[in-house]
Amino acid sequence: MALRRCTKAVDGTIPVQALLYDDEEIYASQDNVGIYDGPQKSPNHQAGTIYVTTHRLFYIDVHNPFAHSFFMDLSYVSRTEHYAGLFKSSPKVTLHLTWGPTMQNQTASQDQTTGFESWECEVCAYRNPPGLSPAAAKVCGLCGVPRASIPTPIAPTVPPKQLSLSLPASSTSLAIPSPRSTTPASNTDPDTIACPACTFLNHRSLRSCEICSTELPRVRRTMKSAPSSRPVSPDLDDEDSPLTRMVKISFRKGGDKPFYTVLKRSLKSKIWEANGFGTNASINTRSVPTTSDRSGVSKSGISGILQTVEDSAQGRQMGMMDAFQDLEALMVKAKDMVRLAAELNEKLTAASTSSSTQSPLSLASTPTSSSTTLISHAEPEEATFIRSSLSQLGLQMSNAPVTLDMMKDERRWIEELARELAQVLQGSREGGGMMKNRGIIALDEAWGGWNRARGVALIPPSTFLSVLPHLPSCTEPTIQSRTFLSGLGVLHTPMYSAAAFAAKLSGMLALTGPKTTIEVALEEGITVGLSSEMIAAAEADGSICRDDSATAIVGGGGAGDAGLRWWPNLFVDYVWDGQD
Amino acid sequence: MSLTTHTTTSGFILPSIHSAPPFFTQQPNPTTQSIATDQWIHLIQAYARHNRLFVLRVEDAEISGNDWDEVLRNERINRKLLPMHLTQILAKMVFSNVATYDPPKQTRSVLLYWRLPDEWAEVLHSWAVSTAQLNTILTFYDITDPPVKSELSGIPVSLLRKAINILVKSGRAQLIGVADGEGVRLFSGGR
Repeated sequence: MALRRCTKAVDGTIPVQALLYDDEEIYASQDNVGIYDGPQKSPNHQAGTIYVTTHRLFYIDVHNPFAHSFFMDLSYVSRTEHYAGLFKSSPKVTLHLTWGPTMQNQTASQDQTTGFESWECEVCAYRNPPGLSPAAAKVCGLCGVPRASIPTPIAPTVPPKQLSLSLPASSTSLAIPSPRSTTPASNTDPDTIACPACTFLNHRSLRSCEICSTELPRVRRTMKSAPSSRPVSPDLDDEDSPLTRMVKISFRKGGDKPFYTVLKRSLKSKIWEANGFGTNASINTRSVPTTSDRSGVSKSGISGILQTVEDSAQGRQMGMMDAFQDLEALMVKAKDMVRLAAELNEKLTAASTSSSTQSPLSLASTPTSSSTTLISHAEPEEATFIRSSLSQLGLQMSNAPVTLDMMKDERRWIEELARELAQVLQGSREGGGMMKNRGIIALDEAWGGWNRARGVALIPPSTFLSVLPHLPSCTEPTIQSRTFLSGLGVLHTPMYSAAAFAAKLSGMLALTGPKTTIEVALEEGITVGLSSEMIAAAEADGSICRDDSATAIVGGGGAGDAGLRWWPNLFVDYVWDGQD
Repeated sequence: MSLTTHTTTSGFILPSIHSAPPFFTQQPNPTTQSIATDQWIHLIQAYARHNRLFVLRVEDAEISGNDWDEVLRNERINRKLLPMHLTQILAKMVFSNVATYDPPKQTRSVLLYWRLPDEWAEVLHSWAVSTAQLNTILTFYDITDPPVKSELSGIPVSLLRKAINILVKSGRAQLIGVADGEGVRLFSGGR
């Protein structure tokens, strides 16, 4: 029945700790328990100690530990129930079990072939130590690659019952792993291995064929020192009713509750299947591979790394989805927020108007209304604060006027910035500013230099532009901004204002003769682009004129501005001196 | 940098501005350009009057070796007037009624009015009075190519016709069709 199906005998004289897999650990234990196989008491297991580990449930009998002790894989457990006890009936924990048709065979063969034998990984040649749990033993401990030559049990063509009846002695030949299909099935002599290439019967300790050096199929003989104390023999009268598919643990001396919680935790964490494939297919399909399930598992090797990458990608995806959901929610709510802001604004306006009309009254009327005056004094500041925060959030109402006091802070800030910019440009008494030796500077250069001087909390161009109008009041000599026709913006001292520069330029040209743009740039110590802008401005107001070498009779040349020479404006004030 | 006047071989005194290279460049500044254009018109009219030139063509600026070389080119400063610039000057002359496109409906050739048609009418009338040819029939050829050289010598027929038309309107002339063309009879006028 259930107990026989799902349990395997152990030698209870050995301490439980020594029976564990390497990666298994004991969670809790409870003595004075009895076992029910299905609804009935199991006669041989009425007084013992129960241990719950990460992988298994151990029962060590008190009276006959050698013969009657057993363990059961937790993977069989599909459901648990707790019964608190009534009068003389002890509290009980019921374990509902499930198993597939081949499970018994499979686990048996795995025990014999993988559980307690070291094996070599085919990828990294790491010799994995024995003693790991069946699931952990399927994956290489170093590189994490699943064991390729895992002995897949041959699916029996006959029902398991008859199979095990016909081969009662633990079905050795069928449990032999057959990685190659060419392995002769008629390999009856247990001491020899037939070479798959030349069929020579090699000694079984050889790895490659003595004759042709072909690698031999590895035969793992079951080396059972002692016959199993309880030969697995299925019941012929097995009924698959849910009643029989369960095991009860009866707690004669209490301790049921702490044990039950620990058991449930162990069942929930599913450590036995964490390292690869679960032994029970039905359980495996139910397990959802989420990060939380595997977080407690030690990850190693390539698959571990891949697992980590996958997990982090998944986590990112989840975070992104959450973020987008938040954003969508915000978009849905945006209209409400705007409406709320509008209402708030209206209330504030109403409150401020009423308080402003009220405050002189309250001051005049009675001293008892001091509280209202306090409020009316406090309110404008708060209203300003709320409004400025609303405008900072971009929820500023178009109908609400931007009052002066609302912008008071910002204006002070801009003025402070203007003072700072003035210092950067003109320098303090000891240090030189950017415009110490230059009368004119392009806006982009000034902005970049300022931000470089600030280092942190950089100023956006829009703020920079709004600071510029305040600059003349903070500088000595005044620095003003000017925008040329091409859109180039500059900051300049009075010497470089349009009129002053034009006068200077025409005077210089009259004195030293016509010049090209580049010569003017050299003379003034400004960039060519800037000088051409300023010359264009001077030409536009008529203080200079041009001579294009394209009008030359001989030679000529210089396309574009290259052939231009600048003259003082000869045409103004010209009086006809030729023949009439 | 002082610019001086220059006297050409034909005895015409070029103004000092003709020696300034910017004078030959089209100025982008409209104010400057209008001043320069005015000076050009002044120069062209003075030169035409001096040399009795009645026609100015854009080709004169394109090809050298014609009557206008002394004005439209300045070898001393290696500058010349570009045809496009001249076209604009001509347009302004026509606009300000000191020239007219001749033949009409094109913009590459103008008839210069260094004397306005009214003035030419007076010149014609006084010439007829002074040469005692009132009340006689004169062909156009008699006027444009008289035996004794007069102010009217070489005047284009189109300009002459305009002057005669003005006299006709004021009743001092009468156009008469003759066998080999047209004739005109001038009266003492004033009635």
